[in-house]
Amino acid sequence: MGHKRLRFLGVVAAAMVFTLACGGTTGGGTPTKTYKIGLVTDIGGLNDKSFNHLADVGLEKAKTDFKIQADVKESKSGDDYVPNLTDFATKNYDLVIGVGFLMQEAVGTVSGQFPNIHFAIIDGAGTDSKGTDLKHSNVQSLFFKEQDAGAMVGVIAGWLEKNGKAKKNKHVVGAVGGISIPPVNHYIAGYKWAAKMEDPSIQVLVGYSNNFTDPAKCAGVATSQINQGADVLFQVAGGCGLGVLQSAGKAGVYSIGVDADQKDADPSVIASALKKVDVATYTAIKNVVNNQFQAGALTFEIKNGGAGYSVDNLDLPAELKAELDKIEGQIKSGALTPPADIPA
Amino acid sequence: MPVGSVLFAFVIGALICVVTGANPIAAYAGLVCGGLGIGCTQGENPALQISNTIVFFIPLVTTGVAVALPFRAGLFNIGAEGQLLAGSVACCAIGIKFADLPAPILLPMVLVGGMAAGAIWAGIAGVLKATVGAHEVVTTIMLNYVAQWLVRFLIVGGPLELAPGTSKSHPIGAGAQLPTLLPADNSVIIFGLPASVFRVHSGLFIALVAAAVFAFLLWRTAFGYEIRAVGQSQKAARYAGVSVRRTIVLTMLIAGAFSGLAGAVQIAGVDHNLTDKFFNDTTGFDAIAVALLGLGSAVGIVLAALLFGALHTGGAIMQSDAGISSNLVLVLQALILFSIAANFVGAIRRGLPFGRRASPELPTELPPAAGLMTEAAVPPPGKT
Amino acid sequence: MSGVGDIVHLLFTANLWQATLAAAVLLLLPALGGVISERSGVVNIAMEGMMLTGAFFAVVADLAWHNPWLATLVAIVAGGLMATIHAVVSIQFRADQIVSGIAINIFAAGLTVFLVNRIYGLQDVGHVGPNELLPYVDIPALDQIPFFGQVVFDQNIVVYIALILLVATHIVLFRTRLGLRIRAVGEHPQAADTAGLNVYVIRYSAVITSGLLSGLSGAFLAIGISNTFVPNMTDGRGYIALAAMIFGKWTPFGAFIACLIFGLGQAIYDNNSIIHVSPYLLSMLPYLLTLIVLAGLVGRATPPAADGLPYVPGSE
Repeated sequence: MGHKRLRFLGVVAAAMVFTLACGGTTGGGTPTKTYKIGLVTDIGGLNDKSFNHLADVGLEKAKTDFKIQADVKESKSGDDYVPNLTDFATKNYDLVIGVGFLMQEAVGTVSGQFPNIHFAIIDGAGTDSKGTDLKHSNVQSLFFKEQDAGAMVGVIAGWLEKNGKAKKNKHVVGAVGGISIPPVNHYIAGYKWAAKMEDPSIQVLVGYSNNFTDPAKCAGVATSQINQGADVLFQVAGGCGLGVLQSAGKAGVYSIGVDADQKDADPSVIASALKKVDVATYTAIKNVVNNQFQAGALTFEIKNGGAGYSVDNLDLPAELKAELDKIEGQIKSGALTPPADIPA
Repeated sequence: MPVGSVLFAFVIGALICVVTGANPIAAYAGLVCGGLGIGCTQGENPALQISNTIVFFIPLVTTGVAVALPFRAGLFNIGAEGQLLAGSVACCAIGIKFADLPAPILLPMVLVGGMAAGAIWAGIAGVLKATVGAHEVVTTIMLNYVAQWLVRFLIVGGPLELAPGTSKSHPIGAGAQLPTLLPADNSVIIFGLPASVFRVHSGLFIALVAAAVFAFLLWRTAFGYEIRAVGQSQKAARYAGVSVRRTIVLTMLIAGAFSGLAGAVQIAGVDHNLTDKFFNDTTGFDAIAVALLGLGSAVGIVLAALLFGALHTGGAIMQSDAGISSNLVLVLQALILFSIAANFVGAIRRGLPFGRRASPELPTELPPAAGLMTEAAVPPPGKT
Repeated sequence: MSGVGDIVHLLFTANLWQATLAAAVLLLLPALGGVISERSGVVNIAMEGMMLTGAFFAVVADLAWHNPWLATLVAIVAGGLMATIHAVVSIQFRADQIVSGIAINIFAAGLTVFLVNRIYGLQDVGHVGPNELLPYVDIPALDQIPFFGQVVFDQNIVVYIALILLVATHIVLFRTRLGLRIRAVGEHPQAADTAGLNVYVIRYSAVITSGLLSGLSGAFLAIGISNTFVPNMTDGRGYIALAAMIFGKWTPFGAFIACLIFGLGQAIYDNNSIIHVSPYLLSMLPYLLTLIVLAGLVGRATPPAADGLPYVPGSE
């Protein structure tokens, strides 16, 4: 019962985020122009079950709300980033969105060549080859505080361990990352930090599969962690990480999804850490349509609804719910700041 | 024959489109526009499309040569990819380490360094083939993977990484960069676009020279004769006084140098640093199709590389203009390979498609099939 | 927490060997396929593509019909069909078998993602429900044997099937008339033809068998170990299986030992949350070991005599 109401609340909250994001201009204030929006995926492609997919979800949502023409290019290799971005720019698109921090240099280059075209990049900025932000006036960087989302699911993991509500209660939880890169480690940092805050005696195992596409590799790392006594596993490895969720289900322990709500991926998924790439994409498009494009960084965090969590296949105890609300409030108010680097 | 193979692939590709509910005419129109800048309806800039095609064309020519040369010696170099990666790594390492040197010194250094690294990578396969008869197909596949993991090691937390978590190397020095053909200047407008979007670089000439060197080496030198002799029959070559082992090793070394050069030119001309894209690079595999389709001749390789460069560039346009996954290009590429290898076109023309009734002649365009058991692989007497 | 001691400790846990066997079986099935195909004289580097195709169609079928057995059958047939292309092209048309193998791998990589786009649009492929996966089965009584019981008898059903197929392949190849014929065709096709064997039929069957086995492995990967299709999810396993086949000197049990070694490397790496091991060195290990074997440092690796040569009737 409880979790159903919560799910409903979650839907309401999500709807509110979108409504807020829309800002009430949906009705058709300026129906004259059809805006052209181009989305360039990174090599993960649209069916990556992760942020490329979510970016497309945001694009589709914008398509129903605004008068836009939305086109997508999948990059088959890193060689395609510059040509794909350039193609949209030469066709005078109103906004060109690059997905993923792997595209930073390409966005930096192309945005310099087309100062009159607006660009947005998810998880990064337009940089030069040394990684320095070029701060072009036509580039909006959409950053995420993944550690906010990681912290919320870390609270769940830590609370379950502290109160003996997990499956084995050995005070061991795990996190399986794809490759040790910043967007992955931010999640794990918040998770470990919050789990330790909830349950000081907890041991947080952190492993990497060195892969983002092969579920069997992640299943192996997850099984090893389960054998070490972990009974809550957080996947931060995109398509590979689906193997984590399934291994947890097989072993009868809990798992936590990442980026999108992954409750359908396996019954073991008790929660998901959300990185609302769809909201970010939608917001960037909305800003352009409303003539409110702003260069520079826009950070999506728990405070503005750009990061968060969902409670999935779990009957959420009232005390845990209270604890989650308390921590969420403290992060929003700035009383607590989840770290970006994995704590010792 | 090659034209027929390409047509065959496009017909089957169209059938796959129709069966899966996609419009093949829209797909191919997107490919032609994207690859060649012809017949564009969505505002593509033809000059830009051709420029992008040439950027992909450059490494395909050089690696195509690196596959075609060993082919003539009866060797199958599947390792162009690994050799290309080795060349990129060497170019980067040198270009970073000596970043302050002026171009006249540094540019030759990175290019020669890339060639040397590629040659060593291929040389391992060559030496193993010549000494213990280890089949080069298998060794080069293994070396490809080793090279891929080496790149990963170097730029994910390794010694070449720019900064922790960046997954890319430092940029090479300005002196190690190949100039672009048009000024790399955002304020100069050419063909209606800033000149810097045209990424065609002087590596184009290096690639064309590599193709010419290949033709000269193969047809105008004594060593070229030896390569062809070994390719025809190792036994006969040996009777003619050719050292088969030496030819095998040298051929692989030269092939590796070509691939390594392709990698170095790619870094020096386009990327200027090693990035994650090199984990998923497929140039060296596309090169196999280029070499086969080009019938192992310099002109053929150049034309085939142009086709594959255009397909690569066209795939992205096809996807955004026609809404058809650019993976169709991979399907077409595979179909071209099947068609060339099996000589479907010839079989259809002869009207004898199947079985023992088929005429016993082998496709003449291919060198004698590289059986896994070569003469060099026979254990020397007395040693088992 | 790192160190040799930790790895040694790990080596004495049943968990590690259980994981090793599961990882090895993913490689073993295509490797057995490779052994059979190459024993008959047809070089097969296309296991990667056949496996990927199997994985894809297993998920499509399971999502459509909610039956893992039917889905596995579809995957096996899909792998077999890819192999049939390889057979037609390389046996019937006498194409270069390596080119054909490369083409199969490219074809599978492109076609699966192309079809994902056509079938599911830009949406998620979807997840197979937990009751619609290939099951894990404890063998009663046997799984109570200390250590060994957990390692061998507490596994996915495909693991048992693979172990049976391993023994069967060995027996068929080396203890039966059929095996003798397969090997004869791979060593001396002309002599076999003269003796009245149908070289074409035997080679066709062997190549298609390799596709069936690779397809089964793909199903195990997609609807046994995971529950969905991810583009390029085979991640080079077909090539590692090729390495295992050579490492094992074209014998089923030799290939199995190689698969166990490669699987052990993976299983040790899986423990990187408690021991520190370089992912790069371990990832390179299968390839480096194979190079060492090929270099003749661990005895000779000699393929069947007619491996890779198209058979032309009447030629000598």
